[in-house]
Amino acid sequence: MNKNPNLPDLIFDESISFRDRYREVFEYQVLKNPVYRKFAAVFGLNEDSNPDIHNIPLLPVRAFKKAKLFGDGLNPEIVFKSSGTSKMQRSTHYLADAGIYRKAIRKEFYRHFPRDEFSILSYTPGYSDNPDSSLIWMMNDLIANDPSGQSRFLPLNKKVTQKQVNPIVQKGNKILLFGAAFGLLDLADRKSIALPDGSVVVETGGMKTYRREISRQDLRNKLSDRFQVLVDSIYSEYGMCELLSQFYTDGTEWFGSPHWAHVTIRHADNPSLECRPGEEGKIGVIDLANLYSCPFILTDDKGIMDHQGRFKVLGRWNKNDLRGCNFLIDRD
Amino acid sequence: MIELTVNKIENHIQNISNAISDWLQPDNMELKHAIDQTVEENLFSFQDIRHQVLHLKESLKKENLLKWAEQSNLKHNSLRGKKVICLHAGNLPLVGLQDFLAVLLTGGIYIGKISKKDPYLLPTFISACQKNGVLRDAVWSVNLEELHNSEGDFLLFAGSESTAQKVNEKMSRFRIIKPDAPKLMRTAHFSIAFITDNKPSTMESLTEAIFRYGGAGCRSVAIVVAPFHLDSEKCSFTDYIESFWLKNPQHEKPTPALFHRYACNKAVEISQAWLDDFLIEEQVMLPTEKFLLYWVKGDEKKLEEIVNQFGKGLQSIYSTGDFLLKNTGQFEMEDLSAAQKPPVWWKPDGVDSIAWLQGNIS
Repeated sequence: MNKNPNLPDLIFDESISFRDRYREVFEYQVLKNPVYRKFAAVFGLNEDSNPDIHNIPLLPVRAFKKAKLFGDGLNPEIVFKSSGTSKMQRSTHYLADAGIYRKAIRKEFYRHFPRDEFSILSYTPGYSDNPDSSLIWMMNDLIANDPSGQSRFLPLNKKVTQKQVNPIVQKGNKILLFGAAFGLLDLADRKSIALPDGSVVVETGGMKTYRREISRQDLRNKLSDRFQVLVDSIYSEYGMCELLSQFYTDGTEWFGSPHWAHVTIRHADNPSLECRPGEEGKIGVIDLANLYSCPFILTDDKGIMDHQGRFKVLGRWNKNDLRGCNFLIDRD
Repeated sequence: MIELTVNKIENHIQNISNAISDWLQPDNMELKHAIDQTVEENLFSFQDIRHQVLHLKESLKKENLLKWAEQSNLKHNSLRGKKVICLHAGNLPLVGLQDFLAVLLTGGIYIGKISKKDPYLLPTFISACQKNGVLRDAVWSVNLEELHNSEGDFLLFAGSESTAQKVNEKMSRFRIIKPDAPKLMRTAHFSIAFITDNKPSTMESLTEAIFRYGGAGCRSVAIVVAPFHLDSEKCSFTDYIESFWLKNPQHEKPTPALFHRYACNKAVEISQAWLDDFLIEEQVMLPTEKFLLYWVKGDEKKLEEIVNQFGKGLQSIYSTGDFLLKNTGQFEMEDLSAAQKPPVWWKPDGVDSIAWLQGNIS
């Protein structure tokens, strides 16, 4: 697979219709990505197919665990791995062009949180502790790119102090506190200070652990109470190792998409079909920033869409143990 | 005194045995209509019902009931006056029959939620028991609402961890069970076959163990550990499967999601066999999906590894020849050819229902 010098610019060029952009990327994928080519071929598609957006088959996200979604002719600049224990099979995402990832991160993040207005306090492990994590790479990039120089990773297991906040306020910036859902709640429980006016909190999911679970609404309320920020200043980020683009909420629980990505909700029983607004299904993503790996992805996350094309993330898709002698009280 | 008690149990079992015999008579029109209606409404295939009924004819013989009574240390009328709520699953024909029998044998009061997916078959047996005078005060319905305020003393059901909480909440909210009622929930949802040869008898048993009931049910095999790769066995195994399907057409069909899975496997080069109505993959994961079989090349060590990894949802391990009754972890290997023909005393999730009920009397 060779890099196409025009495609990285094309995918971010809003003056070109999304249709024209995804078709170029589809053709490129079918020609150059052996895994996606084989997948598309099962559905009778090849480089001449020119499929409608609804007919592009979405590769299940587990493929990142099973194969190298990357062409022989390319050299990976970065390799990301999904989180997990050593026993778990982890996804591996090979990036041929870190510049595309950087551009996708910055364009969408700064659209929501302008670079000159916000400084980031990231309550996540630092880059040196997690060199495989795409999320930490992203935070590292955003922190390094803060012109005020005040953004930083917060030390873990310690509260937020006035000393950390003051220099940001003195520079005239607002605070953006970033972290995983339970991480932020734990941080708040450490008697962290109330954040100054204008601050925002961005949580990046992880609302269900082996011992705790919380709804997004409850989480937003709790974070709002504990950090003393308005509930519509609590944002969520949706992203994963397998996607190079991120999605942000708009002060509600609904996520929007960057202009180079397209989200649909797919029937779990037939991923070729899209769900109607309000109907639950698996989240399907066309992420053109995944140009050199695979941009056509069916996630294992459950979601719904509204009539405006915004979507909610409702957790992991639960297979309900369909095999067993299950007494499905709600379905029976 | 002990002799008297034994006689009472024997009499009770004799009466139950008479009811079973009446129920399984070829001229029992009630059962015949129930079978016809089940097939007509497309709930199960005739072949699967036939398999189950023929098997029950063998397994519910009086001597087998006596054996179960002995093994479980059944005491006469041990649950007298106690209400046992049975939430019957409906993924296989008559899958809830063993729980009903456990209540019957212990003399408890049966309160059954009959599955809407299998609404006709079990009630014909309940009816036969009533006619024979071995069942009194029983209540059953396909609607859970009709069991509200039953205030059961025990709850028997099969489910997953994810449904258990919902079931518990609903049972308590509608006072179907008493707040402190002991609950026996079975969560195992798949079985493993460990084979060491590809003799026709082994492969025929394996085929039945996997494909009977379309692969549904916790006793059906979802993982095969074999000394061969799938690719080397695929062609001959497919012949056995086709032969089985000719006699037992698969009733329930997979959704198109299975085809997407096949497409993904093909793309990432997972060795597989696509059978239109079933998919076999050479890899192993926790089995949760229907119509999907995992094939693993390996020996006893590999089997042990898999059991250690996925043992939580595992019901049974089957094998043949020398491996029968050998232990892997906490599991004793069972006869592969009996995978879909369990004895009446078999223990779902390793728990004898009668012993559990008697052991939990407050």
